[in-house]
Amino acid sequence: MSLFVAQDLVKRFGGLVATDRVSLSVEPGEVHALIGPNGAGKSTLVNLISGLLPADGGSIVLDGVELTAMSAHDRVRHGLSRCFQITSVFRGDSVRDNLLLAVQAHSGSSFRCFRRRSTEAGLRERALELAHKVGLEDMLDRVAGTLPHGVQRKLDVALALAARPKLLLLDEPMAGMGPEDSQQMVELIARLRAEAAILLIEHDMDAVFQLADRISVLDYGKVLASGDTAYIREHPEVQAVYLGTEELR
Amino acid sequence: MSDELHSAAIPSSGGVARWLPWALLVALALLPVVGAQLGLDYYVGFVRRMLIVMIAATSLNFILGYGGMAALGHAGFIGVGAYTVVALVDAGVSSAWTAWGAAVLVSGAFAALIGAVSLRTRGVYFLMITLAFAQMLYYLAVSLSAYGGDDGYGLYSPLELGAGRTTGDAALFFWVVLAIAALVFSFASRAAVSRFGHALTGIRDNETRMEALGYPVYRLKLAAFTGAGALAGLAGALLASHNNFVSPSTMHWTESATLLVMVVLGGLGRRWGAVLGVAVWLVLSEVLKLYTEYWHWPLGLMLIAVVFAAPRGLAGLFDDRSSA
Repeated sequence: MSLFVAQDLVKRFGGLVATDRVSLSVEPGEVHALIGPNGAGKSTLVNLISGLLPADGGSIVLDGVELTAMSAHDRVRHGLSRCFQITSVFRGDSVRDNLLLAVQAHSGSSFRCFRRRSTEAGLRERALELAHKVGLEDMLDRVAGTLPHGVQRKLDVALALAARPKLLLLDEPMAGMGPEDSQQMVELIARLRAEAAILLIEHDMDAVFQLADRISVLDYGKVLASGDTAYIREHPEVQAVYLGTEELR
Repeated sequence: MSDELHSAAIPSSGGVARWLPWALLVALALLPVVGAQLGLDYYVGFVRRMLIVMIAATSLNFILGYGGMAALGHAGFIGVGAYTVVALVDAGVSSAWTAWGAAVLVSGAFAALIGAVSLRTRGVYFLMITLAFAQMLYYLAVSLSAYGGDDGYGLYSPLELGAGRTTGDAALFFWVVLAIAALVFSFASRAAVSRFGHALTGIRDNETRMEALGYPVYRLKLAAFTGAGALAGLAGALLASHNNFVSPSTMHWTESATLLVMVVLGGLGRRWGAVLGVAVWLVLSEVLKLYTEYWHWPLGLMLIAVVFAAPRGLAGLFDDRSSA
C-alpha cells in the first residue's frame, strides 16, 4: 500500500483551475519528483497537500489517516512536513533558537508558561541532533538571517525534519543555489530518504534525475505523465512541454 | 524590527539587572510609610494608580509586543473588570477578593469570546475589530442605567480585604496593589521566556512557518489574548476600588490608544517596556500639569522625539548601553 495518496485534488481561483483532478502517490522510502514548467501549479499543489490552502475537492491520505479536513498544523502532527520555496526561517533568531522552536512543537505542550525553556535539556539535545543531521552544528549561535542562502536552505530543511515526518515535502530546495550548494543539497536529500519518503518539487533537472525514483510532470494543473526516470525522459509530450525551456538529457 | 528585538532578548549578565527589581520593590513597599511621615499621601495614591495601569500595560505588551497582535480595545477589558466590581457591589458583595476574582473571570470570558472572532483577522483588520468590540462595550456601559449610565457609579463603601481591614486603608491597599503588580510582572517576564512565550514570538515573526511547524497558531493566540484580557480586567477591578468610582469613560477607545502609546513608548516586546512606558508617561503628564493647562502639547512633542531618538522604546536605550 502506498504511504501517501492524493486523489483527484481540485483547486480553483475564480475561473482558473489551478489544480485539475491531480492524483499522486508516494511509496515508503521513495523519492517522488514533481516537475513542470512555471505556472504549472506546483506551488498550489504543495499548499493543498500541506493544508495551507483549502482544496475544493479530492482527498489526501497519509499512512492510512485521512488528512483532507485537517488544518495544516494537524497534518504536520500526523507526519506530513514541508519546506518552503522562499526560505522561511526565523531570521532574527540564532540557528539554535530556530531549531529549538521547531523541536518544541513536537515534544510536549507549547501552552506551558511557568518554566524557562532554556532549562529543558531534552529540547536542546534534540535541536543539536537536528543540527548534526543537516550539518549546521558549527553555526548554532549565528543569527539565521545573516547566513548564506545555501545554509539557510539547510536550516529550512532541518525545521521540517523536527516533526519526524513520514512524508517530507520539499518545495524547490535548490531554488537560487549555485552548483556547489545544489550538490550539497542533493547529498543531503539522498541521506534523508532513509528517514522519510520525499515528494520533491524541483526545477533543477540534474538533481531530479539523480534523486527521483519516480517523476510526475505537471502542466496546466494536470498530471501530464507519471513514471520512472527513463519513461519520463523518453515521453514525447513531456519533451514537447519542456522543449526550449529545459533540456532533458 | 524583530532582528533587534532578539539580539536584545539575550539576557545581560550585569549584576545591576539582578538586584534592581528587588531594590525597586523594597523602595515601593516603603513608600506608604515614608509618604505618611512626609505628608505625601497624594503621591502614594498616584503611585498606586501607576501600578494598576502597569498591570494593564504589561498584559497589552504581552499580546502586542510578544504576540504581534495590535489590539486597540484593551480598555474594553479594563472596563469589563471595573463594571464586574460595580455589579457585584450593587448586588451586595463586600469582599474585595470575590469582586476582583470575579472581574478576572468575567473579563477573561469576554476576551475569549471577542478573541475567538477577532483573531480570525490580522493586521489593520484585527485592530479595527478589537476597536469595534471595545466601543460596543463602551456603549453598553453608557446604556446601563442601573449602574449610572453616562454618569458612572460611585462605590461608597470600601471593599473588605479580610481581618477587618478594607481598601479604605490606603497603605494596606497600596501594598496589596504592589504585590499583585509584582506578581503579574514576574509572571509576564517568566512567560515571555517559557515555551509559550517563544511560540508567541515565533507567531509574531513568521505565522505561516509556525503553522507549518505544527503549532496550533490560532489557539495559542487565543490563549494569550484571553490571559491578557483577564489581567486587564484585574487592573480595571483595582482601578474601580482605587477611584471608588466607575464610569464608561474608563473604556473609551482613547484609553486603549493611550495604553498602546505607553507600551510603544516604553518598548514593545521588552520585559521592562510596559512598566517604563507607564511610569514615564504618567509622571510626565503629572509634572506638566503643574505648569500648564495645555500639557498635551509638550507630551506629544516628547513622544515624537522619543519615536525618532529611540524607535525601539525607552527600554531599548538601556539594552544598548548594557551591551555596548
